[in-house]
Amino acid sequence: MTLPTLLEAPPRDAGPAPAAAPPRRHARLDRTYLVMLVPVLALFSLFIVFPALTGVLFSFTNYAGYGDWKFIGALNYVNMFKDPTILQAYLFTFFFALVSTLVVNVLSLALALALNAKIKWRTGMRTLFFIPMVLSGLVVAYVFNYLFSNTIPALADSLGFTPLASSILSDERFAWIAVVFVTVWQAAPGVTIIYLAGLQSIPGEVHEAAELDGAGGFRKFASITLPLILGYLVINVILGFKGYLGAYEIIVALTGGGPGTATQSVAMKIFSGFTGGDYAYQMANAVVFFIITVAISLFQLRIIQRRGVSL
Amino acid sequence: MLPDPSPTAPHSRAATPRRRRTALRRRTAAVLAVTLASGLALSGCATAGSDVVTIQFMQNKPEAVEYFADLVQRFEEENPDIRVVQGNSEAALVPGLIRGTPPDVTTRGWAYASADFAAKGIYADLSDLEAADRVDPSAQELVNSWGQYNGTEVSALPFSLAGAGVIYNEAIFAQFGVEVPTTWDEFVAACEVFAANGVTPVYGTYKDSWTLAQGLFDYTTGGLVDVAAFYAPPEDGAAPVTRSYTKTFAPAVEKMKTILSYTQKGAATRSYPDGNAAFAKGEAAMYFQGPWALSEINGINPDMQIGTFALPMTNDPADTKARVNVDSALSILRTTEHPAEARRFVEFLMQPEVVEAFNTDHAAFSPLTDAPAQANPQIAGLDPLFKAGRYYQGAVTYMPPAVPAQNYIQYFAGTGNGEGLLRNLDEDTQRVADRLVPTTTN
Repeated sequence: MTLPTLLEAPPRDAGPAPAAAPPRRHARLDRTYLVMLVPVLALFSLFIVFPALTGVLFSFTNYAGYGDWKFIGALNYVNMFKDPTILQAYLFTFFFALVSTLVVNVLSLALALALNAKIKWRTGMRTLFFIPMVLSGLVVAYVFNYLFSNTIPALADSLGFTPLASSILSDERFAWIAVVFVTVWQAAPGVTIIYLAGLQSIPGEVHEAAELDGAGGFRKFASITLPLILGYLVINVILGFKGYLGAYEIIVALTGGGPGTATQSVAMKIFSGFTGGDYAYQMANAVVFFIITVAISLFQLRIIQRRGVSL
Repeated sequence: MLPDPSPTAPHSRAATPRRRRTALRRRTAAVLAVTLASGLALSGCATAGSDVVTIQFMQNKPEAVEYFADLVQRFEEENPDIRVVQGNSEAALVPGLIRGTPPDVTTRGWAYASADFAAKGIYADLSDLEAADRVDPSAQELVNSWGQYNGTEVSALPFSLAGAGVIYNEAIFAQFGVEVPTTWDEFVAACEVFAANGVTPVYGTYKDSWTLAQGLFDYTTGGLVDVAAFYAPPEDGAAPVTRSYTKTFAPAVEKMKTILSYTQKGAATRSYPDGNAAFAKGEAAMYFQGPWALSEINGINPDMQIGTFALPMTNDPADTKARVNVDSALSILRTTEHPAEARRFVEFLMQPEVVEAFNTDHAAFSPLTDAPAQANPQIAGLDPLFKAGRYYQGAVTYMPPAVPAQNYIQYFAGTGNGEGLLRNLDEDTQRVADRLVPTTTN
């Protein structure tokens, strides 16, 4: 029982409370508090806030990444909203994030339930399912790139199964399925662990009581398990969705945004500005993407607060 | 008089390097290396008073680092008053410009990005170098066609030209009695012969979209369209040119479809390394790749007989041209503090024997007039075209990087929607032009 103890969930109400004021606040600031806070604040400002603000500034210029520049007002933003390739990247990214969140959570919850049941070699199985999380997304995607392009078509061809005889990666209608598949394969273990922790936080008596009342398997899941791990579900959905919005390396290694431009994500589009002399334009894109992400996060935080869950 | 053995005072030691030499021997290897390095650097400084000038040389070809190191050594022997430091990070150029410490001399592949630097005036004018007179005018035009700073300046001298065409398997051609095609009809007929005999006429690697762009797209458009004229920058003060891909490139797209129909089944799933391996194993008669693929193929199958011909796109053999790119061009930064020394170094590198030896060694073509014939049989097929200056730069190289042309071409190869490809190119080009206008009227 090594993993379960490792994965023990923290008590529900003992979440970190960084906002809690130190007791002697009005007397004088605790030096330990300052020693911990100031360096982090300074580093955060220097490496995150300052570059981000510089980026915002440049989004109002015609800067190419080098050379002269001047302010051009909101022209980059105006042009951005008229650019169908950017719109397409946004549509794809949100579609991809939605589908991935859905699939990852359904699959991981099922996996967590199975791994939490009384099965043989439970610890070994849990370790096995944890392995994808250790591998880098880029490595996983390159391996799957080979499987999709060579192994699967060859197998399908020899079995006479024509729909898979050509690589899914080279079909612009279905390439997104491959991207979602690899993303799910890589992300599921992390999500499963959080669900496992949630499942272990449910006291056994609750289930026993439900059984005594005559609840069946599905009823127990729907009325006992799910409500009790709802907090974990919300966290998984929120963190997952935010993460998938920034999809980059798996797509780069799998399809490179292709075939055509079918799987180009917003992050890829933004990054293209660095090599394309489109620095300021893609900075405007980044600012818009940032605002959208913040808006979604605030919306989700409201839901969390209503649920009484803390991250 | 025993020197202090502790390595704490490198400055004082280096100031009197000779006196400390005996002490050096006693040190551990690591300390020795560090000390030697600082000693070397400082000896450069120390002798600066006696007029040794150091110039920074940014060289863009990672495979030629040692080759250029030898050249630098030769140059330093002939010119003891100049020291040349070779660097190989092209990415360091822009940070260097921003910090005000760019290299003095650079070699770069000459295409959109380099031309953009030149348009911002970062390079000095080289037109009055002696070496400039030895460059074949049509090779110089490859650089100048991107636009000349102040209208007349020469920002770079071409050093090495890479010629690309159709690589073909001589054994398969001989087996079916097919001659190297000199017209479009002969090319299609050859494809028919191979297809009828169960041989893949052209090996396609659509998975790597750049192979479609530089091969299929550039060869067909280069043979049918005057690419340089199509992309010619507007005259000073003139209105921006409106280019229409849909109007100009449509005939080429039709011929692309024909060529696509002769590629193997499953070409969409094949990558560039797959293509090299398959061609080296004799799985196809022809392969649309440049000289960079030759070393890969030779590595897999050293005994293979390979030739290269330029893809004929019309039925008049006189129309056939080779695809070229300026793989390496020499420039001097305008801000250099040692213009005279930098120019001597460029003159040294542009000597006919240096240029020609380099290009023979690297399966490339010399940009100089009166260059000797290319002896490498694998690319000799392009030599007459280079002699006659019959070449073009690929259309894709002229497109701004913000236009994802390679992705659009891949989309076309997958769907056959040529109108969509040209419409995408037109619309994207227009959008990029719209948002780049403020930059150019800065």
